[in-house]
Amino acid sequence: MDYLAHLALNAGVFMILALGLNLINGVCGQFSLGHAGFWAVGAYAGAAYSLFAPLPIPDWANLLISCGVGFTAAAIAGLIIGIPCLRLRGDYLAIATLGFGEIIRIMINNMEVLGGSRGLTGIPAWSNLFWIYLFVVLTVLFMINLVRGTHGRAIISIREDEIAADSMGINTFKYKTIAFAIGAGLAGLAGPLFAHAQQFLHPNNFTFIWSVIILLMVILGGLGSISGAIVGALILTALPEVLRFMGETVAQWRMVIYSVMLIALMLLRPEGIFGKRELTLHWLQKLLRDRGVG
Amino acid sequence: MSLASTSPILKLSDLTIRFGGLTAVDRVNISLGSNDLVGIIGPNGAGKTTIFNMVTGLYQPSEGAIELENSSIVGMRPAHITQAGIARTFQNIRLFNELTVLDNVRLARHSRTSYSLLASIFRTKGFHQEEAVIKDRAVEILKLFKLEKKSHLLARQLPYGEQRRLEIARALATDPKVLLLDEPAAGMNPNETMDLAELIKWIHDEFKIATLLIEHDMKLVMNTCQRIYVVDHGVLIAHGCPNEIQNNPKVVEAYLGTSESSEKERS
Repeated sequence: MDYLAHLALNAGVFMILALGLNLINGVCGQFSLGHAGFWAVGAYAGAAYSLFAPLPIPDWANLLISCGVGFTAAAIAGLIIGIPCLRLRGDYLAIATLGFGEIIRIMINNMEVLGGSRGLTGIPAWSNLFWIYLFVVLTVLFMINLVRGTHGRAIISIREDEIAADSMGINTFKYKTIAFAIGAGLAGLAGPLFAHAQQFLHPNNFTFIWSVIILLMVILGGLGSISGAIVGALILTALPEVLRFMGETVAQWRMVIYSVMLIALMLLRPEGIFGKRELTLHWLQKLLRDRGVG
Repeated sequence: MSLASTSPILKLSDLTIRFGGLTAVDRVNISLGSNDLVGIIGPNGAGKTTIFNMVTGLYQPSEGAIELENSSIVGMRPAHITQAGIARTFQNIRLFNELTVLDNVRLARHSRTSYSLLASIFRTKGFHQEEAVIKDRAVEILKLFKLEKKSHLLARQLPYGEQRRLEIARALATDPKVLLLDEPAAGMNPNETMDLAELIKWIHDEFKIATLLIEHDMKLVMNTCQRIYVVDHGVLIAHGCPNEIQNNPKVVEAYLGTSESSEKERS
């Protein structure tokens, strides 16, 4: 596959992953470190459908079903993890979800039917840039409509002040669980899109480090910002690759430079690129006007 | 003035809570008629806020009953208690700081909103209709509290006094039958406190709801409340109209300590 297309594909998958984690960590304020685990659940569940039980219908329809399977499986996993763990706060929730991510990976590693440690091969090539970016757009629309309704506001209020939210008649546990399940489901949705483009899955695709990188994308863009999650995913996918082409020395030191750039950004702008703001037409117009005047 | 209303809207009977060996609230009885304006006073650490926390479901009482309109609310989640009709403010203001003033009030309408999550995602007709109603109601309440011009500011950008007002507005937006105000005058200067007294009386007249007020500022309580309960060390030590309370020796003792002569009398 063409190098640039491959990068664009990864960026799209990470956008969906980051949007899902942004709902949990940014919008709802719950600290999850198990996102790669939900991604794995979705990827393997979707791929298992395509390999073992595809319906005799066109490929694109099968891809959609596979995505549905991935979303549902990960959302259910989200519920199973969320219902006991969301009673925990902050660091404890992070540790519990981290553990979950590792358990999933090790379980898959030992499941022969899913290829085990040899990886799962022969996944049909149904996904491509079109489908991935179609789902990016749909996910963005979903998120915008979610946060601008009473349920989204309820989820945001938990981040702002859980006790006050409870006292305003918001069932905080219910909405934490909903946010967690939908966020996990979105990671699950990214799974089949990724699997059917890559045509190969391996447990090592889903190690803990990926949970951290997705979290970095969300924090870099601005916790709670939808545009931030998109831009964060784009930057963190592109940056290490861009550095490859900036001369031999830079290429050798690229991971160091990458880390230093991240540290610098967090020192200079701890709230992330967008903070909690969104990139809207209105905001762009205002920015351009202010620049024009100044 | 009728001291006990015929059928209380909120009734606390022998309410007790223990934290380990400490009995923070000990067999407290309080009843509130449907249009009463009642104060709870007492020194710091007397257990006033603890009573509020039990009524709103944040703490579970060790013993005793809490009844709203003759049905028990003990063991219910805070959110359900709010839905049943009890709203509160907090001693240390708890607004949703990063949300706009309007959104703070809109959030309070959540439990009175019926459209589903899917309706929100697909922007159905029902969603638009109900959101319009929510917004109208929120703006209406903000107008009553003279905050409508600031509805697009973030809550944390408001000056202190207005944050207090917004918190009360937000509580009222849940359509409560009983309003619990936890030290609303804390941190206010005497002028602001006087305005607040007017506001509390006005809310009482305008919304026709029962109000229970915890306060340190004696003047505020004496000016606004019809009846006053005095709590000290978790025990109810007096109950009556403001005049009776002012002249009650037990209350003076709780607030000012015992005089030498009265200690001699005891021993």
